[in-house]
Amino acid sequence: MTARRQPFSAAVTGLGMVTAAGVGAKATWHAVTQETSPGGVAHQEELADLPCDFMYTADLDTTELLGVATQRLMDRFSQLAVVAAREAIADAGLDTDTWDGSRVAVVIGSAHGGVTFYDQQHVAMAARGARRVSPKLAPLTVVNSAASSVCMDLGARGPSLAVATACSSGTVALGTAHQLLRAGVCDIAIAGGAESPISRLLIASACQMKAVSTRRENPAAACRPFDAGRDGFVVGEGAGLLVLERPEHAAARRAPVRAHVRGYGASSDAYAAVAPDPDGNGIERALRSAMADAGVQAGDIGHVNAHGTSTVVNDLIEATMLQRVIGDHALVTSTKAMTGHTLGAAGGIEAALTVLALEEQLVPPTANLEVPDPQIPVEIVRQEARPAAFDCAVKTSLGFGGHNAALVLTR
Amino acid sequence: MNAAEVVNALLVQRFGVALADVTDETPLRTLRIDSLALEELRVLIEDQLDIDLEEVPLTPRDTVGRLVAAVNGMVPA
Repeated sequence: MTARRQPFSAAVTGLGMVTAAGVGAKATWHAVTQETSPGGVAHQEELADLPCDFMYTADLDTTELLGVATQRLMDRFSQLAVVAAREAIADAGLDTDTWDGSRVAVVIGSAHGGVTFYDQQHVAMAARGARRVSPKLAPLTVVNSAASSVCMDLGARGPSLAVATACSSGTVALGTAHQLLRAGVCDIAIAGGAESPISRLLIASACQMKAVSTRRENPAAACRPFDAGRDGFVVGEGAGLLVLERPEHAAARRAPVRAHVRGYGASSDAYAAVAPDPDGNGIERALRSAMADAGVQAGDIGHVNAHGTSTVVNDLIEATMLQRVIGDHALVTSTKAMTGHTLGAAGGIEAALTVLALEEQLVPPTANLEVPDPQIPVEIVRQEARPAAFDCAVKTSLGFGGHNAALVLTR
Repeated sequence: MNAAEVVNALLVQRFGVALADVTDETPLRTLRIDSLALEELRVLIEDQLDIDLEEVPLTPRDTVGRLVAAVNGMVPA
C-alpha cells in the first residue's frame, strides 16, 4: 500500500560548497562546468606506497578561516561543514543574530566522520601508549560532530542529527530535512553532507577491496565515470550544504528561491554489504518513490546528476536503471571526476550542483569521459557543458550496505 | 623552555588563547579551558616535557600559576 500525499516543495534559498574543484559554490560550479580536467587530485604523502596513493582534497586554510579555538574541537570533515554552512547561510541572506534559532534544523550526512583523527590517535596509542592518546577522540570522531559543530557555530537550536548511510548520506540528509520541514518541526533546515576521509587506514582497506582506481601514473585521469576504461572510484573530501525552507517562510521574508526540493525516496537493497543489487532494483525503488513523492513523470525529468562513481559495476547498473525508469531523453552527468567521490558528502555537493544546473539551465560535462562505454544506454554529457531547457532534475545516490536514495528538484 | 613558557605557548598555539589575557592569577576557565581542554592540555604538557601529571588534581577553576607550579613540581631540577 502506498500512502500518497500532496507534494511538498521545500525552497532552496542558499548553497555552500567546499570541494576539490573549488572553495565556494561559485568556484566549484565554475570548475565543474568550464574545466575539462580536475585540478584538485594529487598524490598524498599519507598514502605513500598504497596501490591508490592519491585523492581529491580541498585547498583551504581552515585555521585562518575558523581560528584555533574553534577549529580544535572539530576534525576536518566538521571544519569543512562549518565553512560550507557559513557560506550557505550568507547566500540565503539569513541573519543568525535575529533568526529564531529554535526553528532551524541541521541534518548533515557523513560516512566516516572523524576517521582522520581516529587513525592518528590509533597510531599514537600503538606507537607511544595509552597515556599519549587525546581525550578528544569521541567528540571529534562521532559522525554527528559536523552537525553539532554547525549548530554551535551558527546558533541553530532546532532538531539536529547526522545521517549515516555510507555514500548516500548526503542525499538521505536532504531527504530527511525535506521531511522535517514538511512535518512542520522547523522552518529552516541546513542539510547536506561532509567528509574528509584522509586516512591511511581507510584507503589501505579500500585498496584491498579493489574498489578504488589504481591509475597511479595519472591521478587526474583516474576517475572517469561511464568511460570504457574506468577502473574504480577515487576518494575525495568536501562538504555541500543547502539551506532549505518551508515555502511560506521563504516567501514571508522575500528570499530569492533558487530551486525546490520536491520529492524524496529511499530504499534498501537488503542484498549485500558492498555490491549493489545487480539489477538495480533498489535504486529503482528509491527513484520511483521520489518521483511519486514529487508527483512527476519520467517525461518531466530533463537532467540527472548521477551517482556515477567510476566503478565498473555502479555505472553500468545505475545507467541501465535510469534508462528503464526515465528513458533516454534526460541528460545524465557525473561530476565526480571533478570533485572525487566524497562519500557521505557526495549527495550534498551534487544536489547543490543540481540546483545550479536548474538555475543556469546548463548540464555539467562528465570530465575524463573520452571513450563512452558502449553498454551505457543513456546520454551522458561530456566534453563540454550543455545548455538545455528543463524544469525538473534528479539526484541519485547509492551507498555501501545497499542504502539507496533519490531526490527530485524543480525550478 | 621553562614550564611557564611551555604552558603559555601551548595555550596560544593549541587553544587559540591571546597571550595578553594570560597572567598567573587567570583562572583557566576564563581562557575557555574547560574540563576537556584541560585534559588535552595535560597530555600535551606531559608529552612535551616528558613528565607524568596523572596524579596531579587540576580543574578549570585553577589558575595558570597553579598549573605552572604543578608542572614545575614534576620537572626535574
